[in-house]
Amino acid sequence: MMNVRDRILSQIKVNKPSSLALNEIPVFMGDDSLTNFKKNLESISGQPIEVNSTNEVESIVNQLFPSAKKIASSIIPGTVSIDTSSDLVSLEQVEVAVLRGEFGVAENGAIWLPESNMINRSLPFIAQYLVLVLKKNDMVMNMHKAYERCRPGNYGSFIAGPSKTADIEQSLVIGAHGARSLTVILD
Amino acid sequence: MSVNHASSANTFNRDFDRTTWHDESLWFVRQKRDKAVFSVSEFQQLREVASNIKEHTLSSLDHYLIEFEQNALSNGVHVHWAANAQEHNQIILDILKQNKATRIVKSKSMLTEECHLNPFLKENGFDVVDTDLGERIIQFRNEPPSHIVMPAIHLKKEDVGKTFHEHLGTPANEKDPQRLTEAARQHLREKFVAAEVAITGVNFAIAETGSVVVCTNEGNADLGVTFAKVHIACMGIEKIIPKWQHLGVFTRVLARSATGQPITTYTSHFTKPRDGNEMHIVILDNGRTQQLGREDFRNSLKCIRCAACMNTCPVFRRSGGHSYGFTVPGPIGSILSPNLDLKKYSALPFASTLCGSCSDVCPVKIDIHVQLYKWRQIISKENALPISKRWSMKLLSTVLSRHGLYNLAGKIARFTLRWMPHSITHNTLLNSWAKSRELPHPPKESFGTWYQKNKLK
Ligand code: SF4
Repeated sequence: MMNVRDRILSQIKVNKPSSLALNEIPVFMGDDSLTNFKKNLESISGQPIEVNSTNEVESIVNQLFPSAKKIASSIIPGTVSIDTSSDLVSLEQVEVAVLRGEFGVAENGAIWLPESNMINRSLPFIAQYLVLVLKKNDMVMNMHKAYERCRPGNYGSFIAGPSKTADIEQSLVIGAHGARSLTVILD
Repeated sequence: MSVNHASSANTFNRDFDRTTWHDESLWFVRQKRDKAVFSVSEFQQLREVASNIKEHTLSSLDHYLIEFEQNALSNGVHVHWAANAQEHNQIILDILKQNKATRIVKSKSMLTEECHLNPFLKENGFDVVDTDLGERIIQFRNEPPSHIVMPAIHLKKEDVGKTFHEHLGTPANEKDPQRLTEAARQHLREKFVAAEVAITGVNFAIAETGSVVVCTNEGNADLGVTFAKVHIACMGIEKIIPKWQHLGVFTRVLARSATGQPITTYTSHFTKPRDGNEMHIVILDNGRTQQLGREDFRNSLKCIRCAACMNTCPVFRRSGGHSYGFTVPGPIGSILSPNLDLKKYSALPFASTLCGSCSDVCPVKIDIHVQLYKWRQIISKENALPISKRWSMKLLSTVLSRHGLYNLAGKIARFTLRWMPHSITHNTLLNSWAKSRELPHPPKESFGTWYQKNKLK
């Protein structure tokens, strides 16, 4: 007797249409400027801040979150240390996470964040506020270019703005379950 | 029991203001979609490309599923196959039992709704917490989703306020979306960090890499999965796309078509579990291979569940998702459901004006309205028509197929419409089409007569 898997596969073989060619994806161009990225990031409720050097990140974070006691970061000293084996209580208490984004996508304001930049897989999602630091000249124009540049790795996410929902009467609410805000510091 | 869309829609329409509000809310989403789509100059080309990728994939689906399985296995992921809903649910139950799990969170997945997973697990002693805000709301209310992207679109903020007052202890009469969402946030974050098993749906499964992609705006899929020891991702066989690079196409069309956003807030790619954790993928058939064998309808499997066809549909907007009695409502649901049970869902292909707006907005170019029409042919042939439609269709076909009878009927109509009192033409018992509609002013002569008179001029 065939198992379920083989049964499904053999049914597909019988039922599928005759083979259809896969066309090349045309090359789609776009505007990969920082201005375009910032405009689109703002339209999805993200906040861009330009700085002259990475050294300024710490003071900006302190200005933005003057009362934050638990800051976890791979870029600035931070006030709590988080690693891959951190327990849930310490993760849950993180107020601000400051992480390095790999590159930005100008057409929609999304930022690629692979697991290797997350410190801990849960951190970018459980932190109350998320700050991503991004190189100003690290923009791709659109998602086609984005997927040429990133690889699956173990886990990775395009993050486009703070967590949001419109599930109650279509009213947009920022800060559903994840980050209540997304600040993007462009260094 | 077969679904009677017309009578459920009738019930929905009794509250006139609410129906209008529902209609307008969805139209607002459709307008946002237009704005997002028109701002991408190559959007029509993207639809073409997306459609080609999906059609190609369907034509080699067995090949790509095998490739996907191999890659997922080598990533250390467990792969399960289910022929139907029962098998799907049983697989999940077994995983929960093996892990002695009691705390289970689930992000939005229409597939698990299709399989009625929650009630099945409940019967077996497992409680699942739905973590998408809209889904949590309707879970509290014990209702099915009325829309695949916005599950609680049928509810007003007052309704949600009442539900949260009962279940989350928010103040009575609280109806501010911001504060209600905050209450849900507090409640659900507790569930996330405590979760042992996280169940998610799948937006795209990539054959080349064995990864699954899940798109959310709330971040609930990532919160669930990254805290739980076990991740179970549930997908239909049609979720496969061949290459990583193809995600570039689909992530550009999905959110723009769904809500008018340029991309969902979180587009997450799950490839390998954390060290020591487990990841499972359940691949479900449940009638899909059968649909693949129906030449006229196989294209419905290209669907990426963006819901654009629902938001634009004049019938959906004024009848509500629940009136379809099927997990995926609206135009696409009306071509998917008859595949599963022709008799039960025979009314659904008729719940359409065939205006074609659904096909116009579909990001993967499914000829939805054509398929609706084709299901109608099959349903009338197999005599599965709803009774109210049966006699009128028969009469119509007799009249249309006989020249003399058609002319005579036209004459009678032009005469009677001019002279018959409004109370008779608009008698809702005799003519449900006349509800809230005026009949056109009948012309003095038929087009045929006019043409005869004028053709020599
Ligand atoms: S049929 Fe097309 S428009 Fe409708 S949900 Fe599916 S992809 Fe979207």
